[in-house]
Amino acid sequence: MIAMRALAHASILVANLLGVAVAQQVVAPTPESVGTPRGEDIGGYNVVHSFETGYRFADIGGNRGKYRSDVNFRNGLRLLGSSLSVNSKNGQGGMFDEIILNTLGLGNDPYQFANLRIQKNGLYRYDMLWRLNEYYNPGLTISDGRHFRDTSRRLQDHDLILLPQSKVQFRFGYSGNTQDGPGLSTVQLFDSRGDEFAPFADIHRVRNEFRIGNDIELAGFKFSWLRAWENFKEDTSYLLGSSPGANPEDLTTLDGFRRIEPQHGNSPFWRGNLHGERKSWAVNARITYVGARRNFILDETAVGVVRNATNRQIVAGGNATRPTTAGDFSISIFPGERLSVVNNTSVYSTRINGDSLYSEVNNNRPSNQVYFQFLGIRTITNSTDINYRASSMIGLYGGYHYSSRVIRSTENFSIPAFDIAEGVTARQENHVHSGLAGLRLRPAKPLTISLDAEMSRADRPFAPIADRNFHALRGRAQYKAKSLLLSAGYRQNYNTNSVSLSAHSSRARNYSFDASWVPRGWLAFDAGYSKIHLDTVSGIAFFAGGNLNTGLSSIYISNIHAGNFGARFGIGKRADLYLGYSITKDTGDGRSSAAPPGTTDPVLLLLLPAQTFPLSFQSPLARLSVRLTQKVRWNAGWQFYNYHEKFLVGAAAQNYRANTGYTSVLWSF
Amino acid sequence: MLGIALLFLLALTASAQAPSTGGYVGSEVCKACHSDIWVNFYKNPHYKSIAAGTLPPESTGCEGCHGPGKGHVEARGGKTTIPRAFSLMPTKGILDTCLTCHAKDLSRANIRRSSHTLADVVCSNCHSIHKSTTPKFLLARKQADLCYSCHSNVRAQFEMPFKHRVNEGFMQCSDCHNPHGAFAPTTRVGLRPRMMEQHGNEESCVRCHTDKRGPFAFEHPPVKVEGCEGCHVPHGSMNARMLTRPAVFTMCLECHNGAGNFGRQGDGIKTQSGSHNMFDPKYRNCTTCHVKIHGSNTAPNFFR
Repeated sequence: MIAMRALAHASILVANLLGVAVAQQVVAPTPESVGTPRGEDIGGYNVVHSFETGYRFADIGGNRGKYRSDVNFRNGLRLLGSSLSVNSKNGQGGMFDEIILNTLGLGNDPYQFANLRIQKNGLYRYDMLWRLNEYYNPGLTISDGRHFRDTSRRLQDHDLILLPQSKVQFRFGYSGNTQDGPGLSTVQLFDSRGDEFAPFADIHRVRNEFRIGNDIELAGFKFSWLRAWENFKEDTSYLLGSSPGANPEDLTTLDGFRRIEPQHGNSPFWRGNLHGERKSWAVNARITYVGARRNFILDETAVGVVRNATNRQIVAGGNATRPTTAGDFSISIFPGERLSVVNNTSVYSTRINGDSLYSEVNNNRPSNQVYFQFLGIRTITNSTDINYRASSMIGLYGGYHYSSRVIRSTENFSIPAFDIAEGVTARQENHVHSGLAGLRLRPAKPLTISLDAEMSRADRPFAPIADRNFHALRGRAQYKAKSLLLSAGYRQNYNTNSVSLSAHSSRARNYSFDASWVPRGWLAFDAGYSKIHLDTVSGIAFFAGGNLNTGLSSIYISNIHAGNFGARFGIGKRADLYLGYSITKDTGDGRSSAAPPGTTDPVLLLLLPAQTFPLSFQSPLARLSVRLTQKVRWNAGWQFYNYHEKFLVGAAAQNYRANTGYTSVLWSF
Repeated sequence: MLGIALLFLLALTASAQAPSTGGYVGSEVCKACHSDIWVNFYKNPHYKSIAAGTLPPESTGCEGCHGPGKGHVEARGGKTTIPRAFSLMPTKGILDTCLTCHAKDLSRANIRRSSHTLADVVCSNCHSIHKSTTPKFLLARKQADLCYSCHSNVRAQFEMPFKHRVNEGFMQCSDCHNPHGAFAPTTRVGLRPRMMEQHGNEESCVRCHTDKRGPFAFEHPPVKVEGCEGCHVPHGSMNARMLTRPAVFTMCLECHNGAGNFGRQGDGIKTQSGSHNMFDPKYRNCTTCHVKIHGSNTAPNFFR
């Protein structure tokens, strides 16, 4: 018995070590713990507390904006991580039986996080999740850096359940999401022959959601309902003074620009769910309704010169609504221990209505236009999945899914002043048939193999790149022994969507191999390699040089090789050393320059650089953690980031190199 | 006919629940030998059933999951004498045992048809009841590590230059996915996307990206029809906006090619206007002018 228990402990230790070694993370906070803290017993509670505080540094060379967009760790003191748990030892505490608090990155890290749970058995359970993201993005790839955002996004979720273990439960919740900070946007003035200007944007968005619900168990069925109110408001404003524009040779200049466009609205939400399960069957029915609405106005004034002096004011207002209903019914039957059959029917229906009254005044010449749009989507899906376990060594599963989607559209446009009114309505229907078949094998206990194939046919996809003739193949094998984990996987997704005058083909293949080995308690290795291949060919048409160019193809080829390696060494009884390395390299289609030297065809010079994007992103790291006392650890780590594009695609090189690191003290008690 | 047959089967089996068979000895007996598990079990969420002191023996403590322990005690231990020893049970048995209590939660409403269940990935593959590293959900390891251990191609995506901050600890896989199985997706059709958690009845993306949710007077239709994945690679990408292509104009032109019976009018998605000259670099960054590409309230062409 004791030997078995010791064996179980050893296997759990190995499993945990494997877990620690599997994924390479950012260098801090330190994953190693001081030990298994026993905590202190205070008044019938056990209290365990730990916190890690230290200094984080970063030394950045190259494109700082791109570094901040990708990594964003900077200098400063941090509470890198902390945890607190308070548990009642008999489950009969006074005001609470459990408090759990975890934090990450507090103090000024770009990614901060705190979660809290307080509960009293049988009476209440409260969960809180708070997150902050210091978001930075210069928009290099969509507007050559003329878009820019340096914002803070704060998210919080609060959920309270009363009587969480009873047959009648009550739920209350609140979620908040705010985004604030400076940014740059762009505007094309005063017409399509004009110039681009970058007004300053004072971004301010707030979302609040309040929830109330109730769960009732009766006669073996559980019925739950939830009512939520979501309020959203955006009050971002845009401002720009005198500007020559982005293209100096262009004659359009701006003396001033101002835009305010508040939009406020709400999305009231209902959800009802009924669930029942017995030994040989189960049912679940759900219905949701969201009645979203946004009210908006826009007031924009631009003063400048375009061939002659121009003053323009635009005023628009209106509202948009989008009621959405989704229903879902599943019935599962289990005719025996080996067979499960699940049939699901779901319905989704949304109607998007928009009214927008648009008024434009150009040098005192008014115009007035009214737009109206409607988009309706209704999807009905029925699926049947069968799962058969033939033996402990072999299992089979398969499924057939059918979907029918109807899209209705209306686009109306009128200019009342000139008695012009136009309207276009359309309706289309798409039917999709999908089949899935899979096989699970376990020829020996440590070895599992799973294979599946999926095929799908759609008769009228909405977009040229959407799935029409789609198939997927997936295979995975895993060998899991006490100190060794080996796995290999393959995924293939192919799609063609070719019609008259347009052909689209997409082929994605992923290969992956992973290994983790823990030869000793103080030594662990893990390594992984993935290749992600994608090649697509799509028919395109565009205007250039005064001509409409047709019959051309957009080609994109990506060959991403991603590798990672990690090694963990226990040095003596007090120190842990972790060394890691990860590299992600897109070799593209193998070319060494955006276009072959001597290429003069302007169409080729346009398309060739966009066909592939070879780059590499690598990050070695090292971390040393030394246990100073039973309760204290000292940690230090270094992580290097190197981002390198093989050739220039945008207007400016985005390459950067950064040395980051930290030193900290972890105290547990 | 299938529905009638299923309802008939339901009626026949409605009273076919297995009654308690006795043989329960109580958790106090278990702790005599399994003190290593018992010593910290008061921190385990399952301890609530013991602390309540009101539940029947088949629904509480060690025997609530492992079954009546009388035979195990009389045999003086041994894994094979435990009625439900999870390391020896078939995967369906593990699933059924856990769902005895946990099936009622809405988040597990689709677990029977989830991709994980079909691939024989059941509760004990991710959760460790006695040796968990996370007290809230009793996960065997940190969530991202758990998911990566099978989805290593996804790990490679999260190691790309621009990605959602999962490795940094700001987000978790379960912010967007429901590992227990999800309701039918509201975008695209067919079998995919899989296991996507929904926000109300919309894509989970809009829960954080609130300004993209709308509704807008002028929606960009593929956002609602094909979903965000039509243009974005959500895990990670070589592109700083996580677009599917390195240059934005090729991504736009692949749909806006005027061909076939695509688009909201069913007569092809219109090509760019003749005022564009793609030889001029300023026209290659489509979103420089079409800034409100996810949806606009004032401009059908998403200018403002």
